[in-house]
Amino acid sequence: MSIITDVIQSTVAVIKGMRRTLAEIPREKWTVQYPDDPITVQPRYRGMHLLHVDENGKEKCVACYLCAAACPSDCIYIEAEDDPRPYEQRVGRDERFAKVYNIDYNRCIFCGFCVEACPKDAITHGYNFEISVYNRSDLLKTKNDLLITKQKQSKNYRVALSSEDVDSEYKEV
Amino acid sequence: MSTELIKVTINEQEFEVEKGAKLIEVCREKGFGIPSFCYYGDLALQASCRMCLVRIEKMPKLQTSCTITCTDGMIVTTQSEEIEKAQRAMSEFLLANHPLDCPVCDRGGECELQEMVMDWGDLEERFVERKNAQPEKFLSPIVANDPQRCILCKRCTRVCDEWMGEEAIEAGNRGVNTVIGTYGGWLGCSQCGNCIEVCPTGTLLDGVYRHETRPWEMDQTRTTDVYSSDGMQLSIGSRGGEVHRIVARDRYVNGLNGEFLDVKARFAHGFINSKDRIKTPLIRYKKGGKLIPSTWDEAIHFVGSKLKESGNNVGVVASSRLTNESIFTLKRFATEAVNSNNYAVSDAYDLAPFFDNLSAPLCTHKEIRHAKTILLIGGEPEEEQTFTAKQIRQAVRNGGAKFIVVHDTPIRLAAQASQFIHVNKGSLDAFALAFADQSDATITKKLGAAQTEIDDLLKTIGETEGDFIIMFGGDLSAEAQAVLANVAGSFASDTRRALLHPLPLYNNSVGANDMMAGKKPLEEVLRTSKALLIAGSLPEDKTDLLANKDFVVVQELFETATTEYADVVLPAASFAEVDGTFTNNAGFVQRVRKAIEPIHQSKPDWVIASMIARELGADFGYNFSSTMVFKAIADSVPAYEGLRYPLLKDESKPVQAKYSPVAKRDLSNEFAALRRKVEALPETSEKITETPRVGHKLHRVTTMTGKTDQFHLLAAGNPKPENLLVSPLVQFNLDGTPRLVEMAEAASVNVKDRIDDKETVASKVVLK
Repeated sequence: MSIITDVIQSTVAVIKGMRRTLAEIPREKWTVQYPDDPITVQPRYRGMHLLHVDENGKEKCVACYLCAAACPSDCIYIEAEDDPRPYEQRVGRDERFAKVYNIDYNRCIFCGFCVEACPKDAITHGYNFEISVYNRSDLLKTKNDLLITKQKQSKNYRVALSSEDVDSEYKEV
Repeated sequence: MSTELIKVTINEQEFEVEKGAKLIEVCREKGFGIPSFCYYGDLALQASCRMCLVRIEKMPKLQTSCTITCTDGMIVTTQSEEIEKAQRAMSEFLLANHPLDCPVCDRGGECELQEMVMDWGDLEERFVERKNAQPEKFLSPIVANDPQRCILCKRCTRVCDEWMGEEAIEAGNRGVNTVIGTYGGWLGCSQCGNCIEVCPTGTLLDGVYRHETRPWEMDQTRTTDVYSSDGMQLSIGSRGGEVHRIVARDRYVNGLNGEFLDVKARFAHGFINSKDRIKTPLIRYKKGGKLIPSTWDEAIHFVGSKLKESGNNVGVVASSRLTNESIFTLKRFATEAVNSNNYAVSDAYDLAPFFDNLSAPLCTHKEIRHAKTILLIGGEPEEEQTFTAKQIRQAVRNGGAKFIVVHDTPIRLAAQASQFIHVNKGSLDAFALAFADQSDATITKKLGAAQTEIDDLLKTIGETEGDFIIMFGGDLSAEAQAVLANVAGSFASDTRRALLHPLPLYNNSVGANDMMAGKKPLEEVLRTSKALLIAGSLPEDKTDLLANKDFVVVQELFETATTEYADVVLPAASFAEVDGTFTNNAGFVQRVRKAIEPIHQSKPDWVIASMIARELGADFGYNFSSTMVFKAIADSVPAYEGLRYPLLKDESKPVQAKYSPVAKRDLSNEFAALRRKVEALPETSEKITETPRVGHKLHRVTTMTGKTDQFHLLAAGNPKPENLLVSPLVQFNLDGTPRLVEMAEAASVNVKDRIDDKETVASKVVLK
């Protein structure tokens, strides 16, 4: 094998490669310049949970503890309470509501069992994944952090890419 | 039941069973599961749920196995396509009107209907019709009712009638319109809550535990009741250091009481996690000054130095609510740490005369249930020893026992009696004398009863074949108790057993009597000692004696009239926070188990006593282990010899302390004293004709029951609120007066409000 053949072959290879590269330059780009650009996710993405409310802003959760029972990493803590007031005045949709609803994101594995277990469609996975914090104890999210009405005000709140909006504020039971 | 054996073939296997056995029991015992709702052993038969259907050869249709008694040569099939089809159809019918609100139902997770439907129900419901929605309402401050969830098994009505004899809850209307209801829509009963316990669905619910947590979230701890002396076994449901509820369900605990509990045992647990609990040791450095929080180290050191100053003049008083371990340690504290014989039990009813003259064996609750003749002298078991009262009722009702009541008040239980000897007010002592010494006919004059009545009573006892039980309580004088306990043994014969049953006031009165052998009367100890260590509180009328004492240490849960005189108050742990034992009125030594860690800085009473003892230089060698304390008890108290915690582990086989009947003693002194007392009674006296109100003792607000708000309403006469949909606690002040201002918004809850919730849930899920 002579040096000349070697040089020719290498040059051809480079030209082949560069042709591919140059051909891609004018095409549409998939890479998102996160965090400089906003990101959207797929509808079935499992991010930080959302606690939903009904059309009148009443919490849907009835504190039945089924999500906590289904949770494999035992990260949901609930305290139920009775609210004897009429519908217009109470916090939740039902007399029974969650006084305390905590999810410990130190432990949550985002498996989605809680969402499947919920008989009232009160809890779903949202699309917020930016939950890194400087302090571990901040990963314990309370009802105030999880309620959809509160999360909508946060700059981290995001919706899914598709038109199928599973993240609607109120969904038919 | 005869012991004759007959042959029964179940699912092609042949078994020998006792004649007269229930088919459903036999099938279950032999391992063939049969579903049922309305069947409840020990209650009258109902056969209304029709889930227990079986095929019996030569019988035309499927039969309900709960109503069939086994006969010789019976051939039974419990599993076949035909039976399963019938059972599945039945469960579908039961669910036809049952709402799908398990997520908000407090029974969800331990509901018999839920379990049965998982086994026998279909996944889909075929009924698309609108359900007969009815709102959830309150029947009393502690009983909530959701009529729509009812499957009409009528366990509650049978329990109310047979166990409690109250008939407060009954089925009304007929056919499809049948509802379980109360008279006037409000429960005026003793609020025992047994209807809640036996309900297989979420129809009757605990109003104290309402919407607090869910069954599977709680840790269940088997332990013993802290109120009545019957030693009822119960299960504490706790979660995260908080006691949420108390039940006696078969799935959690199988004690001597089955699923029976009374209102205090079941609902008055609010004191455990009460915000009024004493949190830290408190010291009053100057007489008349304030109680100031301190540390344990400082408090123990302070107590030690002060008690050293008082030398041998230290008195020790134990409450009979404490565990055996605590009372025993307090006695050792008196004898070993401060070298004094001044120790007493703060119990209004001293059991020593009873146990010192015990001439017959102690009777268990099972023996009451199957007794032939029961003689009740004084006392009021339906208010204070509720389980004993239930056993008496069942013995009379289901066992045909003869029940004789001797009382100056026509108590409610007297309605069940075959003979009621209504004596003059306060002349029960005269009866004791007349009963023990039948030669003197003049006594009956003072008694206010005819001699023939006592003759009838003696004749009934003479005719008894089987068990004859004498029970009496603390309203007799000490001499009368000694005489009665002594005379009981003489009624025994070849065909008859005579048994004794005391009616103590507190959960561990019997144990306190055993532990504090050689105790002195309470008043004497309070008068003679300069310094006092008091565990628990004194009766309110005795607290005056604490004035002008040099030094008073009180171990308590709450600030009471006694702690007002205390120089040091040490926070004690309640029964749910300690390990130990209680001894009940049948002599059963039963375990108390720790359900939650001691609240705040409290410590068990025996730990506190041994810490002070150590400060004074006496070490009991317990190493802070309650098993060591119990071993010391077993070594030094004769009746408890050889007992250890592992032997007491199984609550379904309680172990009786070995009280040996004493030989008949010469009681002429007691007789003479009793005669003097009887002679002092007036010749003529008016009789009490009024039957006491239901719950006049049960619903009393005490330091412990008062911490559960519902008891204030019960004590205030259990008023019926205007709006049954909302808890009475929202609508009334604790003294029973209507709460006008705050009530407005809660009272505006209307039926539509509650039904809308249900309909949206029910109809939508069905149509899905």
